[in-house]
Amino acid sequence: MATQETRILDELIANRRTLLKTGGAALAALAMPAAARAASTVTSFSDNDILNFALNLEYLEANFYYLAAFGTNISTTNSLYPTGAMLQSIGGTGTQGSVTVKANPKVPFSSLAVAAYAVETAIEEGKHVNYLRSVLGSAAVAQPAIDLTTSFNTLAMAAGIGPSFDPFANDAYFLIGAYIFEDVGVTAYSGAAPLFTTTSTGKTYLSAAAGILAVEAYHAGLVRTAINAMDVANGNTALQMLTQKISATRYALSKAAAPSSGTGSGAATATDDIGVGTQMVSLAGGSNVSASTIVDADSTNVIAFARNTTQVLNIVTGGGATTSGTKASGVFFPSGLNGVLS
Amino acid sequence: MVGAGAVGAIGAAAALTGCGSSNSSSMTGGSGTGGSTSYTDVDILNFALNLEYLEAEFYLHAATGSGLNSSDAGSGAGTVTGGTQVMGLTAAQQNILNEIAYDEQEHVRFLRKALGSAAVARPAIDLTNSFNALASAAGIASTFNPFGSWDAFMVGAFIFEDVGVTAYAGAAPLISTAGITAGYLGAAAGIMAVEAYHAGYVRTYLTAQAAANSSYPYLGYANKVSALRATLGGGNETALTVPTGTTTATTVVTPSAIVAASSSNAVGYARTTDQVLHIVYGSLSNTSGATTSAAGVAKGAFYPSGLNGKITVTQS
Repeated sequence: MATQETRILDELIANRRTLLKTGGAALAALAMPAAARAASTVTSFSDNDILNFALNLEYLEANFYYLAAFGTNISTTNSLYPTGAMLQSIGGTGTQGSVTVKANPKVPFSSLAVAAYAVETAIEEGKHVNYLRSVLGSAAVAQPAIDLTTSFNTLAMAAGIGPSFDPFANDAYFLIGAYIFEDVGVTAYSGAAPLFTTTSTGKTYLSAAAGILAVEAYHAGLVRTAINAMDVANGNTALQMLTQKISATRYALSKAAAPSSGTGSGAATATDDIGVGTQMVSLAGGSNVSASTIVDADSTNVIAFARNTTQVLNIVTGGGATTSGTKASGVFFPSGLNGVLS
Repeated sequence: MVGAGAVGAIGAAAALTGCGSSNSSSMTGGSGTGGSTSYTDVDILNFALNLEYLEAEFYLHAATGSGLNSSDAGSGAGTVTGGTQVMGLTAAQQNILNEIAYDEQEHVRFLRKALGSAAVARPAIDLTNSFNALASAAGIASTFNPFGSWDAFMVGAFIFEDVGVTAYAGAAPLISTAGITAGYLGAAAGIMAVEAYHAGYVRTYLTAQAAANSSYPYLGYANKVSALRATLGGGNETALTVPTGTTTATTVVTPSAIVAASSSNAVGYARTTDQVLHIVYGSLSNTSGATTSAAGVAKGAFYPSGLNGKITVTQS
């Protein structure tokens, strides 16, 4: 089955038009054989397992933003760190890895606002790393190996953007790079929220996860707003088109091995990812009018999408989670994630 | 500005879930607690529905000049006072406005459908006197019309969106085990995320305008609103900042403050139902300012007749 799914996925990725046009039927076909595997992903993980899964993602995000804003990874001393941008510890259980990135990754920002967004987000993602590590204590996983060079090139190729992509090149590419992460963070935390236990500790973690989810959604809103504004200023839709290609790719990757009936979302029946662009909506029963898609949510209930851990793993590893019970690796995590959920 | 908000979501969660020991015996199976009273999932979802009615009416009026279909407002719905179409928008601004209006309309529909016959009707909503009173209390001006321009509208939107985020964040741990199984928690988390996307839009817009124009007044207005909400709603605020500096190989600009979250761990704030009620009722005890800890506040500001449902009166 995995082979067949992989082939379908390859075909979908190979032809964006096909992906966009095939819609529900093809996706249902993709989804059904994997139902059992998806169900297995929502079995009994401990609260710590879930938080460690989140910590892996935060290591990834924090390193990306630190490198873009300050030019160094989160565990390297740098005199440029402003108040709040802490040097992070990255040790813990599992195999500690390093960050692969081009030389001098500090983005040569031209827009004051975009530069400020990068600095803010770096500080916040760093705090998420620090916070999750402090909550987990000795149970915290180490930073896994992270790739921020080949990963973006691979995804750009899969998305039909081009043979290479450097998110550290300029303001616009930085925003596109950020776009790749933020909505994924939202869907991951949305999917994880109902998995926490109903113990007092689990509820405390749930509250924290909900708070971090909100922050990821603020970030995603920021990035999508900035991309939209940049296109408006340029009088074109170039960046929006890139986001739509990325969203289609995330969708294909997340659906490749795990369908889901994301909790309370429309993920099971339609796309679980919408790029920045426009849609037609009816307000108060009136005829359709044009509306933007700053929010990444299902178009009926307008509830942000939720992804299960397998789906998230597939996105950050480029479809690595296609075999149940085998550690997923690839793209951003060349050696896989650390922890039980990997 | 962060003030008591630095306590963060964990602190709020502890207050919500851990400190009700003297009342724990009154809790019924499958219900959460909002303090001294136990609430069911229906109560919590209806509380959220009241807030969505307000947001939907605000954005729909701004986008189209009229509000929710009567079929979306419930039997015996209260009247909506004020609210006019915002004129002179660019196509991009109209698209944003249409999107948010649609999102909130669909949230109303989703919650009404989830609640079925238990859904409360739209309460009376005031979109004129409410803004004037809050603007006055916040020290912006004696009157404030959020429908006068896109920038003024962004300040109006700013009033709501962060509150929506904190309200859903506070409600999430109150949902029962049965409610989690039924998907309510996932739905609440997903709606909260959408509110945060909206808040992210509003805060990014105001920040970008202020960064590009040193005499832009609306970011300052929003921060006055934020300060008032902090007073009414137990802190839980992060003021917007105007970035400064330039990017070179050896310099970094100052950070923006798009995200409203604890400054210690960057976890978003959660508010209790009482804190949310104090904000939307504009618990202004007298002309000299706000009161933050009064029990028994049952209406005011955006809800001149109070909310509908079980969670309507402040308990502290």
